Order: sequence, then C-alpha cells, then structure tokens
Amino acid sequence: MEVILFYLTAIVAIMSAIFVTQCRNPVNSALNLITVFLCLAVYYVMLESPFMAAIQIMVYAGAIVVLIVFVIMLLNLGLAVKERYTHGMAGSGVLAAIVLFVANYFIRYGEATGTGGSVTSEVVASYGHTELIGRAMFVDFLLPFEIASILLLVAIVGAVIISKREV
Amino acid sequence: MITVNHYLLLSAILFAIGTFGVLTRKNAIVIFMCIEVMLNSVNLTFIALSRHVGNMDGQIFVFFVMTVAAAEAAVGLALMIAFFRNKESIDTDDFNMLKW
Amino acid sequence: MLDIYLPILVVMGIAFAFAIGSVILSRLIGVKKPSAVKLAPYECGMPLIGTAQERFSVKFYIIAMLFILFDIEAVFLYPWAVMFKRLGIFGFVEMGVFIIILLVGFIYVWKKGALEWE
Repeated sequence: MEVILFYLTAIVAIMSAIFVTQCRNPVNSALNLITVFLCLAVYYVMLESPFMAAIQIMVYAGAIVVLIVFVIMLLNLGLAVKERYTHGMAGSGVLAAIVLFVANYFIRYGEATGTGGSVTSEVVASYGHTELIGRAMFVDFLLPFEIASILLLVAIVGAVIISKREV
Repeated sequence: MITVNHYLLLSAILFAIGTFGVLTRKNAIVIFMCIEVMLNSVNLTFIALSRHVGNMDGQIFVFFVMTVAAAEAAVGLALMIAFFRNKESIDTDDFNMLKW
Repeated sequence: MLDIYLPILVVMGIAFAFAIGSVILSRLIGVKKPSAVKLAPYECGMPLIGTAQERFSVKFYIIAMLFILFDIEAVFLYPWAVMFKRLGIFGFVEMGVFIIILLVGFIYVWKKGALEWE
C-alpha cells in the first residue's frame, strides 16, 4: 500500500517537474509547480512530518506560487510567447545527467549512517509533530529564529524599495 | 518497504530536472520556478534523513529554507519587475547590460 | 500509520469526482446551439474592452509580497502556540522580539505608503 503510494506520487512529481521545465506558457509551468509541491507534501506526511506538509502547502502552494502567478500577469507574459524559448538543450541535458549520475552513485554505494536519535515514530506519535518542532525551534535554535526575523525585515524593505516606482 | 534511499534517489531526480530547467529556459520566471523545484528536492532530502537519523534538526533546517525561499521570492520577483520596466522583457538574452 | 489520513483521501476523491463529473455531465446533457453572439467572450453583459490578459498594476504585487512575508511570520507562530504553556515567559519574550522586528518592517511599509491603493 505504502509502496504503491510512493511510486504513484513519484511518477506524478517527476512528470510535473518535467512539465515545469518544458511548458511554453509560464502559467502552465506555475500550475505544474503546484502539483510538485502537493506531491512533496504527500511525502512529508508519509515521513511522519504532518506539520511540514501543512506549511509546505501554506507557504509554497499558497503564497509563493500566488506571487509568481501575479508577476506573470503583471508582466503579461501570456501573449509574449517567443519563437525560441529554450537554449543549450544538449549541453544542459548532459550536465543534468552527470548530476543525476553522481548523486545516484553516492546513494547506491554510500550508506546513510548515523542512526539512533531520540525522535522515533513512537515519540512523534505520543508528543505530536508540531510540539517537537516547537521544542527544537524555540529552545535549541533560538538565535537562527531571531535572525530569520531580520532576514524577513530586510526582504520587506528591499522588495518595497525595488518594486515601488518612486521611492 | 520504502527506505531512505528511495527518497534520496527521488530528490536527486528532481534536482537534476531542476538543473536542466535552469540551464535551458530563457524566461527568467520559469528559471525561478525551476530553482524552487531544486530547493524542494533538497527539502525532501533533509526531511527523509531527519526521520532516518531520528533527529529534528533537519526539519528545522527545512523551516529556515522555506523562510529564505519566501524572502527570495519577494526580492527576486521585485528585481524582475524592475528589470522589465527598463527593458520591456524578462528574457535572459536581454540581461546584457553588464557586458561590454 | 497512514490510516488516519483516509478521510483526506476520501475528500480529495469526492472533489475530483465532482469536478470531473460536472464537466463531463454538462457536456453530455447540455444542449449546444452555438451562434456568433453566444461564442463571444462574456463580460457582464457589456461589450468587452481589450483582451482578457490585461497588464495588472504593480499594487497587486506589493500586497502579495507583504502577504508572503507575514504568512511566514504566522507559520512561525503555530509551533510557538503549541509550546506556549511549557515555554512560559521565556517563549513570550522570544516571540515578542521576533514580532517587534517584523513590526518595524510593517511600520516602514506603512510610512512609505505602499499599503495605500491610490
């Protein structure tokens, strides 16, 4: 059951990722991107991380893709479909194949070591995933959390300055 | 039985597809979307290994990757809008003002 | 393990079945007598102005961009809310600093007039 779900979702994810790279119209690419995100959310649920699945959908599918679609409509790219919309297919294909081969080599002949952490399936089931995230985030990762707020502040200021016509 | 290697292989495939898209497309927004696919494949690796090792650190890292992705989306798309105002195009072939 | 997600699967199945079913049914049952007037794009009974793919104002982008960044802030609030009782005053101060830093950005945007629709 789980194996079938894994392979079905993998097929959908890979097909829609290919469509993201190959669709002529950017709006179609954006819709396929949503499918990729939903497939990854399914994987996060299978990996017993339901909170990550929820924020995957909220942040990526709900916010970032909306922003991308807004920009596509803002720049009105639907009509401006060019004759040639790709370049360097052969060289990039070879390069992507090399990336895939190297990663595949490491995965096949390497081994994922380092087991025996404290967070097992039973712990996740008894405490709840959100609470485990909260404990790690607000106790162990306190400084990165505060730095994230400064990153967001800089992003707000920068994006407003760049996108507003008269500052 | 699905092992951690299945997830790693899937994320490697998604990463390679994203690389291919970034290198081949001319439209800057589509390149941006391909970068999002690559970021997500790395997120999948983080969560799979985090569950394999039994540690929450990888998932916190995914949290921060999402934060950075949102900031990147806001600023990167603002840059594209600013570029479009100057050049009336977001084709990467027209990104040539620093060339001489 | 995945059994508890079965209701979500059922809801998704019903949604897909409804969407696909209504498209197919309307194609099967509906009466089709197309004419030039009927096939024209419809815009609230008015004769239409321009194309459908009109260029949007940059105002929409600024609002969407602010939505994303404050959405991230809301996402950070969820695990904090779950842990609130256990973290106590320490967690409150921690989140207070986070929100105050983002509030500075909000005030900046407000003063800059990016929230006004003009």
